[in-house]
Amino acid sequence: MGHSNWPEWIYVAVVIALLVYVGAEAWNIENLIDHAPEDAEIIKVTAQQWFWSFEHADGTKEIGELHLKKDHAYKFEIHSKDVNHNFNIPEFLVLMDAVPGRINTVWFSPNESGEFDIQCREYCGLIHYNMRAKLFVEGS
Amino acid sequence: MRTIWAPIILIVLFATPMIQLVFASETPGEYVNRAQEIWNLFFRMMTIAFVVGGVIAGTIVWQVWRFRESNPKAKPTPYEDKGDL
Repeated sequence: MGHSNWPEWIYVAVVIALLVYVGAEAWNIENLIDHAPEDAEIIKVTAQQWFWSFEHADGTKEIGELHLKKDHAYKFEIHSKDVNHNFNIPEFLVLMDAVPGRINTVWFSPNESGEFDIQCREYCGLIHYNMRAKLFVEGS
Repeated sequence: MRTIWAPIILIVLFATPMIQLVFASETPGEYVNRAQEIWNLFFRMMTIAFVVGGVIAGTIVWQVWRFRESNPKAKPTPYEDKGDL
């Protein structure tokens, strides 16, 4: 066409650079928060209509409430007994599906003590709105 | 064209999740503040999104302003010059 098209190439390069940066950053953070520390205590989480039950590594079981220690790492192994649920602790941005026949994992380390909500975040039937549990984080 | 896309699609669908799975299971992680990392990522992405949005919106506004008929600098297109339009 006889005209210079370098602005177009700069535009294409900037778009590609931004896409690569966005992808790389998301990948990096996803990996960073995915890997549980070696000393993370495993807690089995069972979801069923319409309550949560928890089993600690030493065999202690809790229903409707969960007691954790501050600044310890916990890895949750989450599964469901009936339909799809979603294990959610909004305060700590913990969110993972509970799916029948499958164990999903997510880990976190509570960095403040207090009383927090655990809720189901996947519509799971009539009492979904009230499928809650209490998280108690006790000082280290 | 098909030869270029086939390996890209294969990598995206199979190789990448596989690498992620393997590394995720083998590398022990460190203590990170999950909420902080996720919110920081969100804010970085929002910054990029708003900058890109601003540049695109700015370009559109500039084009509409610069190429309006009543702009003193506007030149008629060859078609308009000949009276075709």
